Amino acid sequence: MITRKAKQFEHTLSRRSFLLTAGQVGLTSALVGRLFYLQIMESSRYEALSNRNRFDYKMLPPSRGRIFDSQGRLLAGNAEAYALNIVPSYTKDLYQSLQVLSDLIALDDLYIAELMEKAEKQPSYLPLIIRDDLTQREVARVVVRAPELPGVSFDRIEKRIYPQGLLTGHLTGYVGRVSQDDIASGRVLPDMVNMQNGKSGVERALEDELRGLPGQERVLVNALGRPIKKSIEEPAIPGADINLTIDINLQSYATSILRRGRNKPISFSDAKVKRALAADPELASAVSEAEGFVFEDSLGRVVPPETGSVVVIDIETGALKTIVSTPTFDPNLLSRRISNAEWSKLVNHPRIPLLDRSIKGQYAPGSTFKMIVALAALEAGIINEKTQFFCPGHKDVGNARFHCWFKYGHGNVNVINALEQSCDVFFYELALKTGIKRIASMAKKFGIGLPTDILIPGEKPGLMPDKKWKEQNIGQVWTPGETVVASIGQGYVLTTPIQLAVMMARLANGKVQINPHLKQGAPDANFSEIGVSEASLAIIRRGMEAVLGGSKGTARNYQLDLEGIKMAGKTGTVQVKRITKAERDRGIVDNMDRQWKFRDHALFVGYAPMEKPKYAIAVVIEHGGSGSSSAAPVARDIMTYLFEQNL
Amino acid sequence: MKKLISPRHVPTFSAPLQNNSGATTGWFRAMPWLMILVLILIGMVGVLSLYSAAHGAWRPWASMHAMRLGLGFTLMMVVAMIPIQFIRRYAILWWVLAVLLLAVLEVIGTGKGGVQRWFSIAGFNLQPSEPAKLAVIVMLAAYFHGLYPDMLRYIRTYIPVILIIMVPFAQVLLQPDLGTSLMLLLAAAVVVFAAGIPRWMVMTVFGLVLAAIPIGWSMLYPYQKSRIMVFLNPDLDALGAGYQITQSKIALGSGGIVGKGYLQGSQSHLDFLPERQTDFIFTMIGEEFGFFGCIYVIGLYTALIFLLIRYSFAMKINFSRLLVIGVAAMISFYVTVNIAMVSGMLPVVGAPLPLISYGGTAMMTVFLGLGMVISAMLNEKDVHD
Repeated sequence: MITRKAKQFEHTLSRRSFLLTAGQVGLTSALVGRLFYLQIMESSRYEALSNRNRFDYKMLPPSRGRIFDSQGRLLAGNAEAYALNIVPSYTKDLYQSLQVLSDLIALDDLYIAELMEKAEKQPSYLPLIIRDDLTQREVARVVVRAPELPGVSFDRIEKRIYPQGLLTGHLTGYVGRVSQDDIASGRVLPDMVNMQNGKSGVERALEDELRGLPGQERVLVNALGRPIKKSIEEPAIPGADINLTIDINLQSYATSILRRGRNKPISFSDAKVKRALAADPELASAVSEAEGFVFEDSLGRVVPPETGSVVVIDIETGALKTIVSTPTFDPNLLSRRISNAEWSKLVNHPRIPLLDRSIKGQYAPGSTFKMIVALAALEAGIINEKTQFFCPGHKDVGNARFHCWFKYGHGNVNVINALEQSCDVFFYELALKTGIKRIASMAKKFGIGLPTDILIPGEKPGLMPDKKWKEQNIGQVWTPGETVVASIGQGYVLTTPIQLAVMMARLANGKVQINPHLKQGAPDANFSEIGVSEASLAIIRRGMEAVLGGSKGTARNYQLDLEGIKMAGKTGTVQVKRITKAERDRGIVDNMDRQWKFRDHALFVGYAPMEKPKYAIAVVIEHGGSGSSSAAPVARDIMTYLFEQNL
Repeated sequence: MKKLISPRHVPTFSAPLQNNSGATTGWFRAMPWLMILVLILIGMVGVLSLYSAAHGAWRPWASMHAMRLGLGFTLMMVVAMIPIQFIRRYAILWWVLAVLLLAVLEVIGTGKGGVQRWFSIAGFNLQPSEPAKLAVIVMLAAYFHGLYPDMLRYIRTYIPVILIIMVPFAQVLLQPDLGTSLMLLLAAAVVVFAAGIPRWMVMTVFGLVLAAIPIGWSMLYPYQKSRIMVFLNPDLDALGAGYQITQSKIALGSGGIVGKGYLQGSQSHLDFLPERQTDFIFTMIGEEFGFFGCIYVIGLYTALIFLLIRYSFAMKINFSRLLVIGVAAMISFYVTVNIAMVSGMLPVVGAPLPLISYGGTAMMTVFLGLGMVISAMLNEKDVHD
């Protein structure tokens, strides 16, 4: 019995051992099964996860295309700069780190507060860009203190530079960091957040060509996100370089001539200048001491540079040779973080330097509009070359009296005399017979009141009113008096300097509706026909020739002094303030005696050479006095330079 | 009744020495050479893996590990020379020593955040919970060795058993080291099971354990609870506690069938894998050598455990049999818990992969146990003779 029991026990023990063996087999199988699942069945999924662990994909910003003038001179390029980033999660105290940095590279308290706010809105492991325009010296200063600044890193980047500075402020425009608006409006892709895009001017108009395509960089990172090795997965495709039709020398010359106007430069260190600046804060904020000089008008008063615009255009191709707006700004300032002082100087400038007057400044065309009225009448057969009207110095329409600028009257004048002397009454008569409808449709053929194809955002369309427009926008009936006012380019009519240049180019070439363009080699394309008879145009041109060539021409003193090259054109003087009857009776106060903002705008449009036109010009000087004495000489000087330099 | 398993069969203390004539050849033949070969292979895997863990450098781990392996082999051989009955007779001393060490540790031990697991003696970290595991196995084997099979039926027989297991278990659990204490409990349970505890008791204990789980849960430390919760759902804390599991699974899975190549594991070498030289070394092997590498390592351990089980079948002395089963269970739980942990089948509890993971105490414990196994085998030979 004992033996049986013992045997039974022994049996139990060996069975238990077997059970334990089976248990071990079970455990081993479980492990093998699990590994089979992870390493064979799910392998590809984990491989992808592992790759995502190892590699960070970083966008490689493309090198932005450069902008050159027609002679290959650099207008916008790229310079090497360093961006300073900080990863908040690596810092002990972000605020502390920024304070340390502010000692090394100027960061004002306001900006630090801005950065702190920005840091709160994004995940702390993402780098925060502190500055993106560090010089090598600044980098060196930060590097020395690097041990105290965990999480700080540098990126070599490209900074946009504009070597011509002020000269091309409105032309090239400037770039800036891609904004949320840009992304929302689909102008850029969301992954270009840290890139720059064009904000104005050509930079904005030709953004797609200049930008290029970003590439991709694969960065091997460790568990802390520190890069170990970088490899370029897909190289960035640099943006295209662009040659503009602008000649920077002409741009420079035109700018200085426009700024000078009829005035004389006077040194900033002159005691008179100092006194004037101290007495007139508005004057002080409109001039730049760095320039070294201001101007002195014919009455010996210290004045800031003239405000206005010059546009020169090729009448065949529409290529813009120069497009100037003063005052201007330095695009280099706006392409980086502008300091508060610089910014407030820009926005507090009384003459609004950020406004590109060449395309955004809307002015009544004044007498420069008279060619359109004359052409409409000639084409409608209402007058011919010989038709005369009598100008007694005024015209009564209903119970309103409209004055000619020459209060003694021009007597009997035909269309050519009327253009030469800019007789208002002639055009009052003409307009009343022709009607606003014909005038408006003729104006539109020459681009008045229509935006051009220049593609620079923010261009203003101007305005060519007619009966329908008034009913729809003002809700009133068009009156004959308004036709009279429109006939001398006042009232509702508005144009931009570029429109005036386009109008002149079309009048000069007579065949096609050229459109302005800035990019060299842009298709001269199929401009549509103007559809105006050559005979009518010839009459108009003779009138414009007489403006400079006739004995009574309003710009007779400003003909080009060049061998075989003469200019034709038209002056315009635009009243800014209505002249009351009382004032008229007392005698009109001379422009020079009025406050600047109540002076007339001075306009001149022209083309040259007279016989075989090549270029058209439009000059607008805000509150510049009269078209004859202020705008015409500017146009003459620029045209002279253009042909002398054989541009 | 006494015939089969009474101490009568145990040779006298001086037995091997008396039998001088055939001693050398018999000793040589009785050595478990196959097991030693497996141990050498496992040790080589360890050295190579630690070389890789240091990005292809002997320092700081691989050279030290090789040295420790040599030391461990020597320890194993020295222990093998100790007669098995001596070990059995003084088992109680070892157990008492282990319990005392654990008690002292509670007072002066070092560790992070109230966790006391190590002694720091002259720059070495001694983790007494490891030898305590072995002490419990040896003590249990010794206890059951002297027991008449009939006694197994009585509950009172198990009062000392519970004492032997529960005192060090409680001490380790309170360190707190849940993983090690559970492994201690499991290894001990295997020994008790192999000793022939009646089936109804097995069932009852099993039932009680199931019932105790909710109570045990409420007694866990918050970090232990979070580990278990995170284990059940690693996404709960993908960058914190779940990070290790997630990264380890990515490393293993991305290793695929043949792995990324020696020294080429990106997860390991780019520091995504935590503790790659200790608890997560298997993950690195799996990443660099793939499924085949894993099978190789698991194969070696399984071979070792099966060899031990096979040896235990041949053991005529109950103490030796239980000791060998206990050591086999201990190694099996190390390996299973470690691999299951790194592959995301178990929570992260902190279990080394014996002889491969960098760390002295667990390695020495394994060598100590295996030394006793060899001692037992050498004695068996004398019994047969």
